[in-house]
Amino acid sequence: MTNEPNFIEKRIGVYICQCGSNISDYVDVEKVREEISREKGVSLAKVTMFACADSAQKEIVADIQNEPLDAIVIASCSPKLHLNTFRGVAERGGLNPYNYVQVNIREQDSWAHSDKPAQATLKAIHLIRAGIAKVSLSEALTPMTIPAENSVAIVGAGVTGMRAAIELADLGVNVHLIEREHFVGGRVAQWGKMSMTNQTGEEIITELYHEVKKRESIRVYTGADIIASKGSIGNFNIQVKIQPRYVEPPCDPESFKNAIEACPVEVYDEFNFNLTKRKAIFFNYHSEFPALPVVDMATCTRCGECLKYCHGIRLDQQEQVIDLHVGSTFLATGFNPYEPKTGEFGYQEHPDVITLQQLKRILELTKGEFRFRNKKIERVAFIYCVGSRQVEGENKYCARYCCTSAIHAALQLRKDLNVPFIYHINKGIRTYGKQEILYEQSSTSGDIFLQFVEDDPPVVETFNDHLKITVNDLLTANMEVTVKADLVVLVTGMVPRLNQELNSILKIPLGKDHFYNEIHPKLRPVETVIDGLIIAGCCQGPRNIAESASSALAAVSKVYSILNHGEIQLEPTLAIVNPGACEWCGQCLVACPFDAIERVETEKGPVARIIESNCKGCGMCTPVCQTEAIDIKGYTNHEVRSMIEAMSG
Amino acid sequence: MDKDPPKILVFSTEKISDPALDLAGLMKLHYPPTVHAVVVPCSSSVRPSWIMHAFECGFAGVFIAADGSDCPYGETCIEKTAKIVEMTHVMMREKGIPTENLKMAAVCSVCAELFVNQMKLFAGELADKRPMQYEQ
Amino acid sequence: MTDNIRSASRKEADALIMGGGIAGLESALNLANMGFQVIIVEKDLSIGGRMIHLSKVFPTLDCSACITTPKVSETARHPNIKILNNSEVKHVSRDENGFYRAVIEQKPRYVIDSLCTGCQDCEEACPVVVKDEYQYNLVGRKAAFIPFSIASPRIAAIDLDNCILCGACEKACGPGAIDFGQETQITEITVKTIIVATGFKLFDPDRITRYGGGKFKNVITAMQMERQLVPTRPFNTVLRPGDGKVPDKIAYVLCAGSRDVTVDNPICSQICCMYSIKQAQLILGAVAMADVTIYFLHVRAFGKGFDEFYQQAKMMDVQFIKGKVGRIKEMENGDLMIRYEDIASGQVKETQHDMVVLSVGILPNMGIEELFEVDKIKLDPFNFYNQPNEMTDPFKSNLSGVFIAGTSSGPMDIPDSILSAGAAASQAAKYMKKSQVNVSTRATTTV
Repeated sequence: MTNEPNFIEKRIGVYICQCGSNISDYVDVEKVREEISREKGVSLAKVTMFACADSAQKEIVADIQNEPLDAIVIASCSPKLHLNTFRGVAERGGLNPYNYVQVNIREQDSWAHSDKPAQATLKAIHLIRAGIAKVSLSEALTPMTIPAENSVAIVGAGVTGMRAAIELADLGVNVHLIEREHFVGGRVAQWGKMSMTNQTGEEIITELYHEVKKRESIRVYTGADIIASKGSIGNFNIQVKIQPRYVEPPCDPESFKNAIEACPVEVYDEFNFNLTKRKAIFFNYHSEFPALPVVDMATCTRCGECLKYCHGIRLDQQEQVIDLHVGSTFLATGFNPYEPKTGEFGYQEHPDVITLQQLKRILELTKGEFRFRNKKIERVAFIYCVGSRQVEGENKYCARYCCTSAIHAALQLRKDLNVPFIYHINKGIRTYGKQEILYEQSSTSGDIFLQFVEDDPPVVETFNDHLKITVNDLLTANMEVTVKADLVVLVTGMVPRLNQELNSILKIPLGKDHFYNEIHPKLRPVETVIDGLIIAGCCQGPRNIAESASSALAAVSKVYSILNHGEIQLEPTLAIVNPGACEWCGQCLVACPFDAIERVETEKGPVARIIESNCKGCGMCTPVCQTEAIDIKGYTNHEVRSMIEAMSG
Repeated sequence: MDKDPPKILVFSTEKISDPALDLAGLMKLHYPPTVHAVVVPCSSSVRPSWIMHAFECGFAGVFIAADGSDCPYGETCIEKTAKIVEMTHVMMREKGIPTENLKMAAVCSVCAELFVNQMKLFAGELADKRPMQYEQ
Repeated sequence: MTDNIRSASRKEADALIMGGGIAGLESALNLANMGFQVIIVEKDLSIGGRMIHLSKVFPTLDCSACITTPKVSETARHPNIKILNNSEVKHVSRDENGFYRAVIEQKPRYVIDSLCTGCQDCEEACPVVVKDEYQYNLVGRKAAFIPFSIASPRIAAIDLDNCILCGACEKACGPGAIDFGQETQITEITVKTIIVATGFKLFDPDRITRYGGGKFKNVITAMQMERQLVPTRPFNTVLRPGDGKVPDKIAYVLCAGSRDVTVDNPICSQICCMYSIKQAQLILGAVAMADVTIYFLHVRAFGKGFDEFYQQAKMMDVQFIKGKVGRIKEMENGDLMIRYEDIASGQVKETQHDMVVLSVGILPNMGIEELFEVDKIKLDPFNFYNQPNEMTDPFKSNLSGVFIAGTSSGPMDIPDSILSAGAAASQAAKYMKKSQVNVSTRATTTV
């Protein structure tokens, strides 16, 4: 294929539709036919009552074969209605569907200019001439198909990642589940009881992990990170670095327990948000998955104590790099809880100021009476929107899940731990939808709600052995209210995970809130501008578990519809470079939003080449080309110029 | 031919602005019949040379019915289309064509009224100054 | 587009989708793109549901039709999707092999779809004018009519309840598409799976008499305001219905029919805060010098980009008053006096507005449970369709092979509805893949 116009003259058939009388009432179709039949290349021009009617379609097919015709133009309604109908007619007649052009003389002519019939007729002639000009230069185009690897790399084995993995495996897709941590479960594993259903995070993760393990087509990699990715939709080649665990099966649980006990190193346990300590060889909780402890080499002193109890420990394990070939990459990398700054509402200045996530862990670790730092807790104050809806800070967004989560935790405090005094110092409670019921329960069970306005946050101070919170309460006509508390819980929201390396490897687009950004929240909510790169769960923005599972499943639909045909069909109206004319200035590469242009060396020097699997045919590369070496098939320079000439007549 | 409104070439986009032109017809909204549209994939794929070619062929005005923020190919469309207009303005000045003869506005897929109003306005403006343009 | 209607007697189908709104369309497209054969049953004359009638959508403010119509036309053109408009599922049973059999009743539209070109000549000829339900009764329409300008299929229908059988449309119709002889068609379809996407009901404002909904002329619902703000809007500006005056002091009353045990709806409708904030912004764009006040309890701006959108409205000078509206009184000139408890001052206050918009909530659209013969689909405590395993397997109903998409399972906004529809589609696909069964559809057409 070249950029040069096709000089072999086509035999063109033109059909002018009356659309009953919708066109012919205003456009003198007979006059149009007469004019058009004199045009160069037109071997047949007909008027038809309804071009879309079955009988008319059959007549056109017969004409294509009998005349024979090389190309057809149908002047009728908008191509948005019947382009595919008539492309089908062209195909049935044996033509390439791209050797058919539809000219819109209804919506953009007879109806729009029903007030000026003579001029509407003239316009119809011009528009059809342009259609003839286009079709006479048109090339036969065939959609390109590329094979698609029936496998997916899911990054992140939290609820979203595991849910998606199970579903995709059941649909027959091979899954590589890549988890950065040494244990699966993500944030939900840390959560304890969940609002609405009261299931615990541990239960949910256990259920999902068992389902994952049942499926042979899911391979789980823990301690694993993507370090390189090449290719495009259908065919991504990614490299994964797997950190050693330093522990190998088989070894019985009792030996592990003894080995962990023997370890002399103690560090803060990030799983419990530093509320407790753990060893350098550790589990996060008893039923953790995979059911193998891990050695944290950053803190291990290699003293060898653990080796005495367990022969599965391999301190000499090396990291591994593996290559995966997948059709799609699925990001489910989740979120981080907001970490308050030192001094933000007394955080880290006073040990009785904790975060919601820490409270959730405490609730999980507490049996019986609620004590914290050896003190019986009777008064708990929640301060909402810490790290969310910031007036000054960067996080302008609402973190969505925290109102409900905090209220649910408060209900637990009251019901399970008999905490009598609970205060909710908030900026307006957002228990949307059915979650409203929890708010109702909390207010009627005696919790006290105080509300502050954006620019007048509460103040937390130490007072004797407890904490004092002062707030101007909107709900009592801005009265200054002082609350005494044994424990202050900062209701901290969600922030994006810091995945700079991954983000730059995969070129993931970020939104203003720094979460991953979908193409469009309604049209294409799980896709990114990089074809085949799918996002779901909290890496897109704050969500609760049910909503994350929902987005995971929606993303599964998308991945499956990409991969299940075994190949991907690309629209043929893509960019094409004429290497003879290209002088490689690199402008097209800059203009392309889809990474569809690469520089290749040829005998005459470097030229641009289109990576067709990435190209979307938008044409942004064409106006920037000084030598007019790039065209979009179906909208070529020659086609458009000749259309302009034809219309100007 | 004097009383004919000036000829305007519209670059409309397949997915966004051309549907608005269709809707204008559906709603029987009238605009000058000397307005002709060429459909392109995206407003940032319009070449300055096409616009200049339209002026050479006798079109008095060119209107880019841009995708704006609705562009299915991403938000860079807005700045890229603006850049095309800017580049074309330079070429127009060189040829002595008033830069107002090239107009651009974002036209969403149901912005039929907006489109029709733009066309009437533009045709009016071009008609007012047309004698000047041909005086030379 | 017309093919979809003719194929009522289609021989095979994998999935039945009840409801052709945005959730139903999204589920259908997902399944169809995976290669499954889908039948959509839509009770309205056009697919597109509620969304196709909205103006712009929050928080991106892109126009609703611009998002809906591409999905509508993709659905209508999809070779794997068949649409039955003007149709309702009347009965569902399960056969011994686990297939669902649905009896579908398609009402006549009295227009032969394959002949109608959508030219509207019949509409012009028809002498009968009735209230236009698609414009939420703000304007009139004919008895021979195209439902709305972006309807799909965009073909005429005869509203026989109001038709006077004068025959004017028949004479006006060039292609002879009018056919008063059409009769109700009953079709039985056997499918492997069903997705319920029947959406929600709008709260009827007449139920709160203290707000004067349905009684005071200048108290309208948010859906009526929505129609005044769409690009194809009937008046081309915002008018108050009482006297056609352009209002400049407009009030929104949030939680009208939501979070209110007195009307038996204790839950939050999840969308009203945001659509009201959106309309307020649109009004400020459409009516110069308008004042918009929103009376709220809590502003539920929780989704992606929502709180930023709320802040933007405040910057545009939309007034937000935290307070419960107790009563609305109609003044002689049609203006309205709102009596509310102003929480900031702790006082009961009264303010005059010239138009009041009730931000009505959404209610469950029950009834599907009645259609099932033996095992019924269950409802949750709020009468939405139940999801027994909401956390890890959302949108699965209590019946195997029956899934729920969109607002059928509870209040949700458009982005969440679209996600739920995609989720329901993948669940349905997995179900079909796992239950290795061959479905042969029997279609019987009786008169």
